[in-house]
Amino acid sequence: MTIATAPTAGIPVGPGLSMFDPIFVGIDEFGHPVYITLAYRNLLAGGEPGGGKSGLLNTIAAHAALSVDSRLVLLDGKLVELGQWEDCADAFIGPDITAALDVLKRLQLVMNNRYAWLRAHGRRKLTAADGLSVITVLVDEIAFYSATVGSKQEQEEFVALLRDLVARGRAAGIPVVAATQRPSFDIIPTSLRDLFGYRAAFRCTTPNSSNIVLGHGWAEQGYTATDIQPTNQGAAYLIAEGGTPRRIKVAYLSDSQIAGIADYAAWIRRPRPLPAQVPDLTRLDLGMAA
Amino acid sequence: MSKSSPRRPFGRNTGTVTVIEAKVHRSSARNARLAFILTAVIVGLLSAVVAASYMHPILALFTGAAIAVPLGGVAWVLVRIWPVLRVLWWWTPEIGITTLLGAGWVQLANHTPGPVTLVVVALVVGVPAALPASRRALVAWTWCLIVRHRLRVCFAQFIIANQSGSLPIILWAKPTPVGERVWVYLRPGLSLADLEGRLDRIAVACHASAALIERASDGNAAYLRFDIKRREVLTAQVGSPLVDVIDPATPATDRPTPAVPTALDLPDVDVPTITLPAQKKPPATANGSKPAASSSAPEDDISDWI
Ligand SMILES: Nc1ncnc2c1ncn2[C@@H]1O[C@H](COP(=O)(O)OP(=O)(O)OP(=O)(O)O)[C@@H](O)[C@H]1O
Ligand SMILES: [Mg+2]
Repeated sequence: MTIATAPTAGIPVGPGLSMFDPIFVGIDEFGHPVYITLAYRNLLAGGEPGGGKSGLLNTIAAHAALSVDSRLVLLDGKLVELGQWEDCADAFIGPDITAALDVLKRLQLVMNNRYAWLRAHGRRKLTAADGLSVITVLVDEIAFYSATVGSKQEQEEFVALLRDLVARGRAAGIPVVAATQRPSFDIIPTSLRDLFGYRAAFRCTTPNSSNIVLGHGWAEQGYTATDIQPTNQGAAYLIAEGGTPRRIKVAYLSDSQIAGIADYAAWIRRPRPLPAQVPDLTRLDLGMAA
Repeated sequence: MSKSSPRRPFGRNTGTVTVIEAKVHRSSARNARLAFILTAVIVGLLSAVVAASYMHPILALFTGAAIAVPLGGVAWVLVRIWPVLRVLWWWTPEIGITTLLGAGWVQLANHTPGPVTLVVVALVVGVPAALPASRRALVAWTWCLIVRHRLRVCFAQFIIANQSGSLPIILWAKPTPVGERVWVYLRPGLSLADLEGRLDRIAVACHASAALIERASDGNAAYLRFDIKRREVLTAQVGSPLVDVIDPATPATDRPTPAVPTALDLPDVDVPTITLPAQKKPPATANGSKPAASSSAPEDDISDWI
């Protein structure tokens, strides 16, 4: 058996990350790295303008872009916060609520199909071994879609679709990461806000705002995002695996670093798999191809 | 064992040394009497029963009494001096360290000539003080000693647990990058929720910027962990390891040059060209449940929780 030497140049090799792997988001006060596993959880980030929410979303997007079993759906009212990932994303929605509604409806269909598929296999949740991609939905500025653009019906439909994704998408591998400056009831309904399992509170101006992000009662227990210095952007309280808020500093990617990762991710994804090949997109396959 | 507690065992600030306050003194006397009687009766009966199998019962009773009285006396003395013992116990680390240092100094001074003694002392003091790492560690551990006393002051001064004023047991402490972490075992009368209302005052008492309390054990609500914060460490920028896994020689994706918008300043935009997004109602109605109330509801407070 002869082994043909592969041409070393021009064949991209992915870093082999998976969305089922823990995602590095930063360090905690003890200098330990902080990881979150997003595949089965939704994350809500809140905090004052300039707090670092988009920084967190970009860190997550970078991991998702470099993961082989991942697809990105980006909704960004500001265009620039997640705009650099456009080439790696399967859908990039700007300030356009009709397009946002379309993509959410498609995601809802995918989710229903996945649950039917899981049911047919007698299972209850997607795992890494299934070879299905995790579709990460990143929404920067929910308020823009849920309370600013479009008619009232469209806004309500957006909230309803998003709530359905947040409520049911978890086990089907469709996690939602959403950011908004103040998730009070006039921006997103409490019924939607309370479904997010992970919370990240960047600097807030009042303990009440911090409580709105983290959940009721944390400020009274001493966990309030008001004690973050305004100059310390990217510091946040994160409620994730542990259950109690942890003070973390989110890893930050500069514009040029994002551009580098986005180019690389677009490059390793270049032969876009056709829909029929989606179930073959496992890490094993890539490993053999490499 | 002890039902008493001195509020201020040592009047350190006033210069007078009040080892045991009058009230405490009285209750301590009562407790000591009780301890004497209990110990004497139990020990006496037990030893009498045992002795009865070797000798005549009446002799055995006398033997029991002979054993019981001295032991009861020991119990009495222990209870009487308990406040002093407790103070000694609180200061054990300091007493131990001072004793060690003193003994070391005496040994050194006795066994080496003067200049050598001075050189050794200069080295022992100077080297840890000169090396930043060891200096920081020393300072951090010193803070641990201080914080344990400060926490006890908190409990004694303004977190009154129960009628007899028994103090929580302050266990060990260790430095953390942000300050100190102290483990505490609560006595009856206190709970985590009681302490959470006083976090700000605990922080002040510990000369810290903030204090946090967490349960240290899932199975025992009395076992708590205090996190005293006196430094902000999360100020440095954190990089992402993903930057290192990518290939820097990646060919840049050729993106079509987007149409570069013009009219980037206010005078460049004509009045009629502005098309605001259609916004029919105040956004509060997106909630759908309370359109009437939300338009007049205050921004903050409880209405956020509706
Ligand atoms: N983790 C971080 N480390 C260091 N600096 C950061 C970090 N995150 C954000 N910053 C700084 O803060 C600025 C604002 O951050 P970002 O755009 O993420 O805020 P935001 O919360 O998304 O604000 P907005 O609500 O206006 O969208 C960034 O341009 C960056 O300079
Ligand atoms: Mg932003």
